[in-house]
Amino acid sequence: MRARVLLIAVALFALLAASASAHPLGNFSINHLDRLRVSADRVDVTYILDQAEIPTFQERGLSSDAVLAKKRAEVERGLVLTVNGARVPLAVAGPGQISFPPGQGGLKLTRVVLPLVARVPGPRSVQFHDGTFPGRIGWKAIVAQPGSGTDVHSSVSSGDPTSGLRSYPKSALRSPLDERDATLSVKPGNGSLTAPKGPDQGEATTHNRSGDGFAGVFADAAAGRGVLVFFLLAALAWGAMHALSPGHGKTMVAAYLVGTRGRARHAVALGATVTVTHTMGVFALGVVTLLLSQWILPEQLYPWLNLVSGLMVVVIGAAVLRKRVASSQFRVPSHHHHGHHHHPADGGRRTADISPKGIIAMGASAGLIPCPSALVVLLAAIAQHQIALGLLLITMFSLGLAATLTGLGLVVVYANRLTSRINMSGRLVAALPAVSALVIVGAGCVLTAHALPQLVLRVMLAGP
Amino acid sequence: MAAVFAVALVVFMLVNRGSRVHDTVSDADNPAALVGASTDTRIKSFQALVRAHPKDSRGYGLLADAYLQKVRETGDASYYTRAGAVLHTALRLNPRDPAALTGASTLALARHDFRGGLDYAEQARMAAPYVVKPLGDIVDAQVELGRYAEARRTLHLMVDAQPNLASYARVSYWRELHGDLPGAIRAMKLAVSAGGQAAENVAYVQTLLGNLYFTVGRLDDSREAYRTALARFPGYVPASAGLAGVEAAHGRFSIAIRRYRDAVARLPLPQYVVALGETELAAGRRAAARRDLALVGAEEKLLQANGVNTDVDLALFEASHGSPARAVVLARRAWAQAPSVRSADALGWALTRAGRPAEGLRFGHRALALGSRDPMFLFHAGLSASAAGRAGEARAYLARSVALNRRFSPLYAPRAERALAEIAGGRLQVTG
Repeated sequence: MRARVLLIAVALFALLAASASAHPLGNFSINHLDRLRVSADRVDVTYILDQAEIPTFQERGLSSDAVLAKKRAEVERGLVLTVNGARVPLAVAGPGQISFPPGQGGLKLTRVVLPLVARVPGPRSVQFHDGTFPGRIGWKAIVAQPGSGTDVHSSVSSGDPTSGLRSYPKSALRSPLDERDATLSVKPGNGSLTAPKGPDQGEATTHNRSGDGFAGVFADAAAGRGVLVFFLLAALAWGAMHALSPGHGKTMVAAYLVGTRGRARHAVALGATVTVTHTMGVFALGVVTLLLSQWILPEQLYPWLNLVSGLMVVVIGAAVLRKRVASSQFRVPSHHHHGHHHHPADGGRRTADISPKGIIAMGASAGLIPCPSALVVLLAAIAQHQIALGLLLITMFSLGLAATLTGLGLVVVYANRLTSRINMSGRLVAALPAVSALVIVGAGCVLTAHALPQLVLRVMLAGP
Repeated sequence: MAAVFAVALVVFMLVNRGSRVHDTVSDADNPAALVGASTDTRIKSFQALVRAHPKDSRGYGLLADAYLQKVRETGDASYYTRAGAVLHTALRLNPRDPAALTGASTLALARHDFRGGLDYAEQARMAAPYVVKPLGDIVDAQVELGRYAEARRTLHLMVDAQPNLASYARVSYWRELHGDLPGAIRAMKLAVSAGGQAAENVAYVQTLLGNLYFTVGRLDDSREAYRTALARFPGYVPASAGLAGVEAAHGRFSIAIRRYRDAVARLPLPQYVVALGETELAAGRRAAARRDLALVGAEEKLLQANGVNTDVDLALFEASHGSPARAVVLARRAWAQAPSVRSADALGWALTRAGRPAEGLRFGHRALALGSRDPMFLFHAGLSASAAGRAGEARAYLARSVALNRRFSPLYAPRAERALAEIAGGRLQVTG
């Protein structure tokens, strides 16, 4: 076969790319414009054609009359005029003009102007369709002009930014017009025309909400100042929701508070630690990722962090378990005395297990588990030089995360008090802290076990 | 600022839907992909976005990306101009905008500025190490620049990070270049089933799959692939041209010519015009062929007027149908700028046609050095060897050129077989 297309996913339109400066719409383009004028007894159409270098070259050797005849046939075939619901033939109303202005590379262009007319008494509704040169790229437009004896409401604009296909709008923020249909409603009048503003005059006609999708909604939303608040709230809410998804340490936090018989302020301290740790963790990971970006993809770091936090949780769980086992050895008999520590809230011994170090270690292990999406937000912010905003979003996210964990912790703490107040003394209550410690160890093991296969897989895939 | 919001919101949405890390990272740079909007809708949205936030580089990057996709779908060159202008603004606002750098890379590659494309893509990679998209441009540039070992390493990174349509299609092409056609077909099937954001993307890899089937002589599978591509993206010109090629391989030249003519009418790229002309030559319609092939000459003039004179396709066209001396000039420039196997093939063939077959054969060897089984490469090397008086080598190359698909080209496959017969008959002669 012929030399194969080489760049996969990038079509090699070298000619197109290079020739873009030749004809403003590309030197393959066939551009056409219909000027539509509805009067009391007739519909006039002026068809203007601007054909670029290559299609013109393809017709070389034909006489200009032959080319004009060809274009006329295409126009007669392609234009469809419907008046008051019935199709009306459009007749060529003159010889038409053809010229061949110079183009690029010593090649020529083709320019045709062709008048057409349909004689219809009392038009009320007019539909016009331009089906000429289907599938060919270019500027395709219909403009309405005031007729005589009518008052016309038009779906197409009255302005022509191309001055009859002689110059084209240069704005990179506009697509070439691709307008092939027009609908006009007609009343007797004195030659007035109501039509949308031209495509190049202001934003009025371009602001179309329907079908704009996410980007459109976003564009509208971003226009207002309130969007910052909205986004920060969204980050907060999302962090709160995210904490409920599996593997975000809520089991561990709850179990830790039960295991150590923590109090409300411990729950709050835990939450704060989680916020700080998670924020710092994401920041640190962001920095590391940027530094390591030469050699490693960020997602390759996650399994390692999973492993580290998993092992950390196991160690903490083991420490709590050790203390519980040690303390229960002399506390369990004390239950038989029904002594002076009835009141669950005043247990000075209870909180003896909770050191600030323990809280920080527990919070850190819960917060350390990396949140990939938070990292993505941060990296995007850095790449956009919007670091402050990124940091703010991450902090809000972490706060949301912590709020949920703290809330859970408080529930656990108060539930614990409640059960103690009811005084369900017995083996179960005595064993609960130890069971909780076991839960922590178990959770740590699960995290570690989850991290390991991912790592093994990574290491295996990383090989050449 | 809006850009960060967009990324943040997209990421939040994705994660709440339970997506995996990879998806989160990959789609974050393309918010509109989420709503499955058409290219036109995306263009409209991003135009509005940019007008609302003219100081935000990110919106321009998104808009340029949509413009580039529009060119792939329609071949409308004016969108290249727009994309170029929009990217210029984006990079002025933020020289490190990853989306804009990626767009600039894609545009440079489309303009055959492979070094420039590589440079932009690497900058994009530095600016946004978590985005996989620039890797695709890096692979493309490395392949075009003949840096196949580097391309392989980049490709590994890319497939590991994101096994999707873009990475599988590149794996397929890399394998094809190295002669592993079954492997290339497998990878391209994966690309098709991976699916893409735009219908055009899937139609494109479906068409490439059809081309691979054609190369190995599975004409029915090839036709099926092109038909599927056309069903997915009606009027898709590369697939129409592929169907024309299948018809020509079956000897149904009239249908093939009609199909090529239709393709050329909609998208007169040199490769389709050359295919049309060569099919007409094979059908014995010399006058029509001359007329159609002259269009390639006109396109060459337009390219020169725009400062492009290194195109490999044009060098091959000049070697086979025009001035071999001019072909040598074009191909030498292409080889100097991008020493790929494709440039080597074009230069080798140009030299042979210009009466320097020994030199030509040396480049023919380079074209085949990776193990390529491209029938045109083999045909060119075979005729070069034949003209250089190396009958054994010529026979081997020519036999291999028709081994997989006896009708790899309506014009050149019969010539390969004729040359084989001549060598067997003891006569050595250059035909072209």
